[in-house]
Amino acid sequence: MELHASYIQILALALFAIGIAVALTRRNVFFVLMGVELSLNAVNLSFIGFAKTLAFEASIAGQIVPLFTIAIAAAEACVGLAMIILIFRSQDSMDIDNYSNMKG
Amino acid sequence: MIPLWLIPLFPLLGAIILGIISLASSDSQKGAPEFLLGFIGLLFPLLSFMAVLSLSFGGANTPIQETLGTWIDISFLQIQFGFLFDSLSKMMLLFVTGIGSLITWYSIGYMKHDRGFARFFAYMNFFLFSMIILVLADSLPLTFLGWEGVGLCSYLLIGFWHKDSQNAIAGNKAFIVNRVGDIGFLIAMLVLLSVGGSAFLSYEGLNAGLAGLSQAELVKIIPALALAAFFFFFGCTGKSAQIPLLTWLPDAMAGPTPVSALIHAATMVTSGVYLLARLSNLFVLVPSVLSIVLWIGLLTAFWAAVAGLFQNDIKKVLAYSTISQLGFMFMAAGVAAFDVAIFHVFTHAFFKAALFLGAGAVIHSLSGEQDMRKMGGLIQKMPITAIVMLFGFFAIIGFPGFAGFWSKDLILEKLFEFGAMGPYLYAFALLTAVLTAVYMGRLIIMTFFGSYRGSLEKSESIHDPSFSMLVPMLILTIGSAFAGYLWATLIPGANWFEQTLAPVLSSAQNHIHVQSVIHLSPLVFALVGTVAAFFGLFLAWFIFNRPVPLSKDSSDPKGFGASWTFLWDTIHQWTSVFLVKMASWFMSVVVNHFVLFVQWLLVGIVEILSDGARAIQVRKVRLQMGLSFVGILFVILIVYVYGGAV
Repeated sequence: MELHASYIQILALALFAIGIAVALTRRNVFFVLMGVELSLNAVNLSFIGFAKTLAFEASIAGQIVPLFTIAIAAAEACVGLAMIILIFRSQDSMDIDNYSNMKG
Repeated sequence: MIPLWLIPLFPLLGAIILGIISLASSDSQKGAPEFLLGFIGLLFPLLSFMAVLSLSFGGANTPIQETLGTWIDISFLQIQFGFLFDSLSKMMLLFVTGIGSLITWYSIGYMKHDRGFARFFAYMNFFLFSMIILVLADSLPLTFLGWEGVGLCSYLLIGFWHKDSQNAIAGNKAFIVNRVGDIGFLIAMLVLLSVGGSAFLSYEGLNAGLAGLSQAELVKIIPALALAAFFFFFGCTGKSAQIPLLTWLPDAMAGPTPVSALIHAATMVTSGVYLLARLSNLFVLVPSVLSIVLWIGLLTAFWAAVAGLFQNDIKKVLAYSTISQLGFMFMAAGVAAFDVAIFHVFTHAFFKAALFLGAGAVIHSLSGEQDMRKMGGLIQKMPITAIVMLFGFFAIIGFPGFAGFWSKDLILEKLFEFGAMGPYLYAFALLTAVLTAVYMGRLIIMTFFGSYRGSLEKSESIHDPSFSMLVPMLILTIGSAFAGYLWATLIPGANWFEQTLAPVLSSAQNHIHVQSVIHLSPLVFALVGTVAAFFGLFLAWFIFNRPVPLSKDSSDPKGFGASWTFLWDTIHQWTSVFLVKMASWFMSVVVNHFVLFVQWLLVGIVEILSDGARAIQVRKVRLQMGLSFVGILFVILIVYVYGGAV
């Protein structure tokens, strides 16, 4: 059975909404990070979904961009986790609301 | 056939090898064995000399042109990296590499027990490399590369004993003054480029381009060509120590004496004359610039000859005599007798190198004493050195039969034949020639005759230098006696030099026809020249052959002598140095304060804005993330509503 392209977009939108909601509502900093990652991957899925609607030659770009996004997301996660570990060491807290003492 | 690129490659290899050795042994107390270093340092210049010899006398007598590849290739500038070996570069290369090898040989003895032995020979090899590039290049930019290279080496070698800050200052001065001239060279190249495109930057292209111009085209570009020629000449005044950029050469005597012999007498300073000869086809088109060359040459020769009279430092006398002789070369170039100028370069290289090496031997045996007032009577203690110096002396004053006699007489003859003004020019130059005999006679008398005036404990140890220093001196002595016979006007058929240079220079020299007013036979000139030399010699004998008062003060001239000697230093002080100081004052006071004010203003604005921005910060990470998300949604909404056409 052929999967209709709009279903993929709906799934991507749902994932994106969940990701944003997690990032905005959870106070644990790891969950915030996971929410951001989830919304990133939702966008990747959206790319693939749109690529599927095109002819083979024209769909190449839509398939390649997610690869780049994954690579950059990996690097970003790396840096983000390292920063969180450092902040955790100095703050002794996982609560993102406590990280507000960079007062200008 | 030997490829041309081997000639510069040999000294470059020597410089690299010796440079690596010098760096590698810089930590050790003793350094690499001097015998080996001296061998390497001499081997590569000698190999290059051999290559020049076999090319000059082994092959056909046609110019060799060799293109190694493309150097610069952009839309408005194409330059090939190539070498040109014609009779002009052949003559220059013969004595550059030949005399360079002799002086390197001499340095092995002179620099013995110096900790910078390897460094010294690396610099010497690099200098020879740059000079060969300068002479062998087939285009102006490549010549400029060598031109800069010799300037750099001169800086390195003058400041060779850099532990004494005076030497380092002298090196800086030479470098900076030379740079001023180099700007002239650069401007001239740009002018040529804008007139004729990149073809005008190669010598062959320039000669062909100038020859192919019609009269109407020529009239149109003559002002630009005059500008180019003038700035080329300005570059030459820097390198060849002419008015106004001559102050660096006397100071350059701070370097080791072989350096003075090699750079500031025999090779580097002659590059200006070489450039004039190389661009002779350009210069003859603009007689106004040539007359500037002539007058600058005349004035420089006279000024330096008078300044030579006041010096007590033996090397300073030789330095001013170099400037004076270079003035003679520029005079010859100024009356479009480029082959005569190159001939004087050639003979001067021999006798000036001999004089400098002799002076170096004297300084060496007196353990560094350069003040002639503390010398005297050395002819008994070091007879061979005295003979070498005497031969060089006879050559420079134009004693009949010696090298300088032939070349200087030719210059005077060409001056005399230069139109109605000729006899006056001749008289002025002859006066300078008499002065040459006087100040050089003073040097010889104060150094070698009379009685020894230095400290006594040294007098037993004064002796002729070792074998390795003597041989090059003696070879140069032979050269300063006989080099003139390559173009002896009095002997029919003895004009090998003129014939050799004719293919390159004759077209330019035939371009200018100035009828001489009075015709005299060469014998008359020879006779007058001889009388002038003897007159100067006797004048020197009468004035200076008497006891010199002992003195303990520095060897700098005093009174009128000082103001004459430092005339150009003073003029520089009041003109260019003053202007630079004014500019730097303006920069530091006016411009600096203006920049500070702008900076203060900007910082103030930024601080006010940032205070405002800080007030609306909520300092909650999640809330801010949510707000930015809402912001994005807002942007998307606007785009959706207006269709992205906003």
